[in-house]
Amino acid sequence: MIRLIFYWTAILFLQFVVFNHLGFTAYLAPQVFIVLLITLPLHISKPYQVLLGFILGLIADFFIGTPGIHASACMWLVMIRLLLLGAQDLKEQIANHLPYNVHSVGLSTFAATTAILVVFYHFYVFWLESIGAINWFFILLTTLVSALFTLTVIGVVQLLSDKSSGEF
Amino acid sequence: MQRLIAFIEHNIHIMLFVLLQAMCAVLLFSLNPYQQASFTHSAAFITDKSNELSSTVTDYFNLQQQNNLLQAQVSTQFKNDARSSLFFMNDTITLRDTSRHKLFDVVPAEVVYNTIYKASNIFIINKGIKNGIQKNMGVISSQGLAGIVLQSNENYSSVMSLLHINMNVIPTINNLEYYTGLKWDNANPQTLKITGLNKLEEIKVGDKVYTGRSSLLFPAGILIGEISKLETSPSSQYFTTHVKTATNFRNMDYVYVIVNKDIDQLSPLLLDND
Repeated sequence: MIRLIFYWTAILFLQFVVFNHLGFTAYLAPQVFIVLLITLPLHISKPYQVLLGFILGLIADFFIGTPGIHASACMWLVMIRLLLLGAQDLKEQIANHLPYNVHSVGLSTFAATTAILVVFYHFYVFWLESIGAINWFFILLTTLVSALFTLTVIGVVQLLSDKSSGEF
Repeated sequence: MQRLIAFIEHNIHIMLFVLLQAMCAVLLFSLNPYQQASFTHSAAFITDKSNELSSTVTDYFNLQQQNNLLQAQVSTQFKNDARSSLFFMNDTITLRDTSRHKLFDVVPAEVVYNTIYKASNIFIINKGIKNGIQKNMGVISSQGLAGIVLQSNENYSSVMSLLHINMNVIPTINNLEYYTGLKWDNANPQTLKITGLNKLEEIKVGDKVYTGRSSLLFPAGILIGEISKLETSPSSQYFTTHVKTATNFRNMDYVYVIVNKDIDQLSPLLLDND
């Protein structure tokens, strides 16, 4: 439990203190914190997952100053994740209260699911943010760059995480 | 019932999702200036479009009325012009034709007030001195004779209706003018009476009654009505002729004021003659 709290705090800290202020280029705005939603333990009930997504999104909105955008995106992410996970055989992991990560479901499955969710999330957020002045080139490029960055960070986090504990 | 509860339990995350998404939309569109502007713009666009559509639809409803009005107007103008041109061809040496130009102008007007059940009925039209309307000008409807202007102010004129006990028109029947006077007797708002027609005159029920040339107010040949009844009494050598008015005063919406353009030149000539 303590590890889980540390994990969440660490990821949120990284997101709001480091990744939100990278400032290399306008095309790089990685949303790494969504790994928390992607790796949610599998036994948590669906309404709680949606609620958790909403709260986490609101926290992100609070730090980034985009009321409603991340809350909406996080809930969509949770719903799409439920859909993707519904197509996977995860009975064992659910029974063992395991989180959804590279150790519990295998690299290829986790990578594919994560890639879809990360790309979707970035695209959706950048699209919502630019309503009123839509520039498709900017949206697509930002999505691509930020999603690649986020996927890299998630990969690193997964590799560094303790394989034996399997908590995240 | 159990099924319903089961359904709700099974899908509660979807309901929660929809509810929270709605909250997000409210937050998004009320607190983010760009998105708010975009939302307002789209809303205004939709409102504008719907207003435009409804205006188009109501315009179509109105078209029918406009069409009727124009039709009436055109037919009257035509009737008027036809009368005038005929008149010019036939009467090349009469007083009225000396200038050989169109003697009468027509000013269309809308009836804003009208009575038919008084002894002295008048109606008011929405044209006045500003439109060149003056006292003693003739007024016709698209159906026939309607009245004579009593007085005008800037924007309105009151018109003595045919249904006025002081109204007196010289009728022409079968191209013959009868100087007996066509009057209203304050009885039926559709019937005028001619009292001095000799029984020897060749007139019958159904004959049309027109305006004649003894007046400068109207062009000759404007329809007044149609003889509906010839009353005879053994003790009199005259008919009491009932004339059904051509104009229906009950639903007279639009009329045309006849402006005699040369009345100033013509009236003095008449006075000298008298």
